[in-house]
Amino acid sequence: MNDILIILLGTSILYVFSVSRLEAYVKTLALQGILLFLLVIMDIKEINWLNITFLIFETLILKGIIIPYFLLTVIRRNEISREIDPYISQFYSILIGSIIFIFGFLAAFWASRLDAGIKPLYFGISIVMIIASLFLIINRKRIITHILCYMILENGIFLLSLSVANEMPMLVNLGVLLDLFVGIFLFAIFFNKIQEMYDGNKIDVLTELKD
Amino acid sequence: MIALILFLPVVLSLTGLLAKNKLVNRSNLFVTSAAYVLVVVLKIFSLNFLILPDWLLIYFSFDSIGIFFLSIMTIVFVAVSIYSIFYFKEHHLNAERESVYVAELLFFLAAMSGVILSTHLALLWVFVEATTLTSALLIYFEKRKSSLEAAWKYVYICSIGIALAFVGIIILSIGSRDLNSLFFTDLYNNAKKINPFWLKISFAFLFVGLGTKVGVAPIHAWLPDAHSEAPSPASAMLSGTLLNSALLGLIRVHEIFIKAGEQHFSNFFFLVTGFLSLFVSSVFIVRTKNYKRMLAYSSIENMGILFIGISLGKYGIFAAMLHTLSHSFAKATLFLTSGNILYLFKSKKFDDVKGLINVDSKTGWLWVISALAIMGMPPFPIFISKFFITVALWKAGLSWLAILFFLFLVIISFGMFSSVYNMTFGDKADNKTESAPTWNAYVPQVALLLILLLIGINMPDFVSNLINNAANFLK
Repeated sequence: MNDILIILLGTSILYVFSVSRLEAYVKTLALQGILLFLLVIMDIKEINWLNITFLIFETLILKGIIIPYFLLTVIRRNEISREIDPYISQFYSILIGSIIFIFGFLAAFWASRLDAGIKPLYFGISIVMIIASLFLIINRKRIITHILCYMILENGIFLLSLSVANEMPMLVNLGVLLDLFVGIFLFAIFFNKIQEMYDGNKIDVLTELKD
Repeated sequence: MIALILFLPVVLSLTGLLAKNKLVNRSNLFVTSAAYVLVVVLKIFSLNFLILPDWLLIYFSFDSIGIFFLSIMTIVFVAVSIYSIFYFKEHHLNAERESVYVAELLFFLAAMSGVILSTHLALLWVFVEATTLTSALLIYFEKRKSSLEAAWKYVYICSIGIALAFVGIIILSIGSRDLNSLFFTDLYNNAKKINPFWLKISFAFLFVGLGTKVGVAPIHAWLPDAHSEAPSPASAMLSGTLLNSALLGLIRVHEIFIKAGEQHFSNFFFLVTGFLSLFVSSVFIVRTKNYKRMLAYSSIENMGILFIGISLGKYGIFAAMLHTLSHSFAKATLFLTSGNILYLFKSKKFDDVKGLINVDSKTGWLWVISALAIMGMPPFPIFISKFFITVALWKAGLSWLAILFFLFLVIISFGMFSSVYNMTFGDKADNKTESAPTWNAYVPQVALLLILLLIGINMPDFVSNLINNAANFLK
């Protein structure tokens, strides 16, 4: 069951590579949040209510509902629906995506031989998510897409931490969550301001500062 | 005392936001400064007066290097708070905007204190990310188009960088699986047990992540924009304290390598990026047309010098610590003075600023003297630290690099001083503001320069102890 969930997460990344409608991105984000929630719930071995509540809040409520909903309202309010022509065309993006997948699986194979405690499938897909999100950030032009891809990066890092299964202290977890939340909030504020001050919302408009 | 440092700024900024009163804002700045000074003075003379609950004491503590960085931060913050009063007057801020400014500054301060005091690697990460978020609003404070662009680049580039640093932390926890702890003391004591392979991979990520915040080349893209667009007192905080606190994170990670006997690996990274930073800043410092950007490139240069110093072992580390202190004070002085120039000429371009010394002689002299201080003219202490680093490079058998280092310093000093000279002397351009700045706009810089002179001419014992203890942390 866990493997199916992980494979679904991987598929969601390929889906992001192939779509250009922004709402599709947001729905993928929500889906990823829910998948992460299911993964976390299946991994629970002992009942520690504080921990469980925290994990539910982090994955299902924050990553699955609040942040996607928030970003969706930002998108609808600014009336942008599609990503514009990326620097590298859709076809080659998917090709590059597949290469990233191959690399991710090789990395997973290699890492699990070095350290028996790593879960290979988790590790591989999380590496794919991290590299793919960085590629998407470089390739896409809209600022809102950059925010969405940042969330994919964060989801990838969350999955990576699941693959290792070392627990952090609660204080640290809370801090990480707070940073993520405030970060997304701040990104959205700046995005709205850029939308107001500049005509477009492409990253190309930000060219005032240079030497 | 830790509670005082971490929570007082947060509480005060919240009350300031609620009260929206000028008097409250100013007293908040004053109270925070006073509390920080008190804690630092007590700590330097190793006195304790408050006892914390245990659960908090595990996560925060003062160590020899932490107290050193905290002292630097405190002094820069005091200077910045005094200067901020002038900034309020200059921009005719109403009480509400003032309280927003003070709250952002205090949140930023608390986040940096968290970085300095954390004893847990992931908690340090949390606070480094918090410094990004809190200072982004400060950069956007003047609400210009260009400052929005700078703030966006800053918050986005740094968040991505910091996210990569978290990947590094997770990978490090694979390598230290038997340890199952990311407290620095555990990592140091068991450094030899950490799997070197994972340790090295994690360093690559941590170096990129924290290096982005330090602003070394080639990951410095945000730094000139953010430093030039922030309000001048905030620029002084960014350059004088934020870069240091991210550097402290890297130093703490470097210490794991030293304890594990793998320092050749991390030293190489420090040395290469250090020289790359010198190269980048020497190119851009000559090219740039904006004096605040020139100061920002000088920050990149000095971070490069620090990295080179750290990579060189004992002498180099001592020099690097001395350089951290002197750079923070000198750069804060320069940024605060650039605020005066901006007030007088209403432009950040070199071409619009001429004959500064005829317009306002005090600002003119401060500008020249602090530029001399950052370039490393004796008797300022940057001379000593740069000299030590050159010697350390030579002693390490890297004589070619020592010559290259010297060459870069010459180019940068030439680029910087020719610009400063052209701005300061000669016929005066039209200044846009008639009245000279108030006393708040001079006193902090004069005080910082006097401290630097004192350290350069006759270093008091407690200062040299502080620097020595900090340098001894890395061994």
